[in-house]
Amino acid sequence: MEGKLRITNHIRRLRFFAGEMTQQALAEKAGVSRQTIIAMEADKYSPSLELAFRIALAFGVSIGEVFECESKRDES
Amino acid sequence: MSYQEKKTITSIVSALILMGAYTIDALGRYRAGAAPLDNLGLWAWMMLKYIGIGIVVTIVLQILFHILLSVGIALREKIRDEKSDDKAIERTIKGEMVEDERDKLIELKSLRVGFGLAGAGFIAALFSLVLGYPPAAMLNILFFSFFAGSILEGFSQLFFYRRGF
Repeated sequence: MEGKLRITNHIRRLRFFAGEMTQQALAEKAGVSRQTIIAMEADKYSPSLELAFRIALAFGVSIGEVFECESKRDES
Repeated sequence: MSYQEKKTITSIVSALILMGAYTIDALGRYRAGAAPLDNLGLWAWMMLKYIGIGIVVTIVLQILFHILLSVGIALREKIRDEKSDDKAIERTIKGEMVEDERDKLIELKSLRVGFGLAGAGFIAALFSLVLGYPPAAMLNILFFSFFAGSILEGFSQLFFYRRGF
């Protein structure tokens, strides 16, 4: 089953529910730059597993609540 | 514009300054007859000199850039909140200058692009010998391709930062 994986995330929504946590505050908690958070929210960057866990920990939720994976199967 | 992008632009500027300075110097000497194409030792010495100058220029420009950036951030923080103390400003500066996994990935990807060009330059340099050009031309092609490679590396970084991956 080969196909492309599209990883999406709910970081923006989770920030809102965390008292409108700023991107900078999340970046500091996760140990990355604000630009990386911006890139992730815009689905322009898929983080490493370690960073994904650190973001989930920053929100106090499981990794599955932050990231979602859609698979696009090859029709051919 | 992020800290990494500004830092990359500083590197591109220092590489361009150096490449320009070398081109003017080398062309001037060659036209004046002070750098004959068969004197490889002289060309090698000139290139070594510019590599040394390049290291110094890059360090000086990076120091200046970091000083200006820190002052800029400190001023911005003071304007935003007059009560912000030195510790808060220091924390903001550290937060702006953080380098993470995405930066490292972009650096590696861009390095590959830069090395690609330098490698192509090496092949072009070999071809120049095959085609009968003087060895000094080969040296110069090599030197320029490494410079061009580092400039392309910088532009690739900017591209990856803008487009994402």
